Amino acid sequence: MKEYFQLQFKMLNRSIIDFGLPLLVGYALLTFIFILLSNYLFEKTEFANYIFGLLSFFFISKLNAPKRNDFLKSIFNKQKYRHLRIAENIVYCIPFTLFLLYKKQFVFSVILNVLIIIVTLFNFSTNINVTIPTPFSKKPFEFTTGFRKTFYLFPVAYFLTFISISVNNFNFGIFSMLLIGIICFSYYSKTEDEYFVWNFNLSSKEFLFEKIKTCLLYFTLLSLPIIIALSISFYKDIAVLITFFVLCYAYLSTIILAKYSSFPKEMNMSQGILIAISFAFPPLLIIIIPHFFSQSVKKLNTILND
Amino acid sequence: MIKIKNLSKFYGEKQVLNSIDLEFKKGKAYGIVGENGAGKTTLFRCISGLETHKGTISSDFKKLKDHLGLLLTEPFFFSKITGREYIQLLANSRQIKLSSIEDKNIFDLPLNQYASTYSTGMKKKLALTAILLQENSVFILDEPFNGVDIQSNLIITEIIKKFKELGKTVIISSHIFSTLADTCDEIYLMKNGEIIKKVEQIDFNDLESEMKKFTVGNRVDKLLNLN
Repeated sequence: MKEYFQLQFKMLNRSIIDFGLPLLVGYALLTFIFILLSNYLFEKTEFANYIFGLLSFFFISKLNAPKRNDFLKSIFNKQKYRHLRIAENIVYCIPFTLFLLYKKQFVFSVILNVLIIIVTLFNFSTNINVTIPTPFSKKPFEFTTGFRKTFYLFPVAYFLTFISISVNNFNFGIFSMLLIGIICFSYYSKTEDEYFVWNFNLSSKEFLFEKIKTCLLYFTLLSLPIIIALSISFYKDIAVLITFFVLCYAYLSTIILAKYSSFPKEMNMSQGILIAISFAFPPLLIIIIPHFFSQSVKKLNTILND
Repeated sequence: MIKIKNLSKFYGEKQVLNSIDLEFKKGKAYGIVGENGAGKTTLFRCISGLETHKGTISSDFKKLKDHLGLLLTEPFFFSKITGREYIQLLANSRQIKLSSIEDKNIFDLPLNQYASTYSTGMKKKLALTAILLQENSVFILDEPFNGVDIQSNLIITEIIKKFKELGKTVIISSHIFSTLADTCDEIYLMKNGEIIKKVEQIDFNDLESEMKKFTVGNRVDKLLNLN
C-alpha cells in the first residue's frame, strides 16, 4: 500500500511539472488558491458547508471511477483494496477536512469523512448501457459528450432563474446564465485526439469558424429560456443582460481558440494565465482573441495540411 | 497515384524512417509488414500528413488527406458518444450526408450504445465503417484484422477486393499473412525504418516461410538456451 501511495505522489508531482511549474511553487500555488477560494465561499454564503461538501465529493469522484477500481481489485486482495480505497479517499479529502476544522465546523468535517468512507463500500458497475439522449447528437462531439456529462446542471440553472425572478434578484438571474456559459466553456477545456481534427476537409480558418459557430449557436439555444425570462422580468436591466451575454460569446470563442493554439498539446500555463487575467479584465480579450486565433491557424495548418 | 520519395523521419536524434521510396497505384492493394517498431505506423502517419518529415509525398489530389480514410491501430473514442454519432461525426467532418446508417451497418454493431463500451473488435469495425462511409479514394488500414472475428475478417477482405475493382488504393499493415496474400498486389517488408524487400504476388507463397526465417531466426533457441 505504501508503494501505491508513493506512486500516486509521483504522478501528482509529474502533473505539476508537466503543467510547467516547479514542484514547490506548484504546491504553494495550489494551497494559496484553495485557501483563497474556500475563504471567498465561506464569506459569500451561509450554505458554504454544503457546497464545500459537494465540492469534496466531486473532487474524489475520480477515485470512484469503475475502470480504475476494477484495475485495483485485480491487483489487490479484497481487504487491501478496501483499506486502500478508504485511505485514499481520506487523504484526498484532507484539505477540505482541515479547512472545515479551521472554520470550527467539527461535526460537519466528521460527517464528511464518514460519508466518503461509506462511498467506498459501493460498487459502481462498469456495464451501464444506458445512452442518455441528447439534442446535440448531429454535430461535432463537444456538446454531444458534454451534455451527457452535465445534463443535470441545466435544470439547476433554469431553477436558479426561476428563483431569481421569484425573489426579484437580477444578479442571481445573471449568475444562472453565466452558469450555462461556464458549463459550455468546460466542454472545450480538454484537447481531443488529433484524428478528429485531421479528418476535416476544411481550411484552418473554416475549421475554427465552424467550431465557434456551433458553440455559440448551442450556447444560445441552452440559455434562451433564461434570456427570455430575464428580459421579460427585468426589462430595465436588459442592457446589462446583453453585455453579459456578449461576454459569454467572447469567452467561449476565447477558450476554443486557446485550445487550438497549442494543439495537439493541452493548453499550457501561459494560456491559462492569460485567460485568468481576462476574467478580471475583460477588455484584454480584444488582444487575446486575435492572438489565439493566429496561433491556432498556425497549429492547425500542420494538421489540416492547409 | 501516391509517390513517396526519400522519406525520412526523426524523433529527436532517433531516425525512425530512412530514405523510403514507394509508389502506390490506383486499383491496387499494398501490404506493409514488419516487426513491432519497424516504422509502419509512422510511415502511415507521414502519408496522412499527421507527421512532419523529410522527403516528398505527392499524389493526384490537391490535398491527399481529404481523400484518405485512415484506420488507426487503436481507434480513439470519446467516452459518451454512441456508435451512430461516431459515424455521423466522421461523415460530417467530410461534409458527407448520410441517408441511412442502419443500411450501412454491415457488421451489425449496436449503434445506439456508447462506442467506448464496445469490445476491441467492435471498435475496429465501427472505425472501419465510419471511414468506408466517407467515400474516400485511398485507404490506409493499420492492422484492420486485429481482434476482429472470422466473419468480419471475410467481410473486410471482400471490401478490399471490391475497392480494387472500384479503382481505389488500399495500403494495409497486418501480421496475418493469409489476409494480405488474399488481398494485396505487392507486399513490402520493413525493418528499422527501411523498406528491405518488395514481394510480388507471384512470390507470396514463399513469403510466410521467408518472413519466419527473417524475423524469428534462432531467437527462440537463444531464449530457451538450445544453442
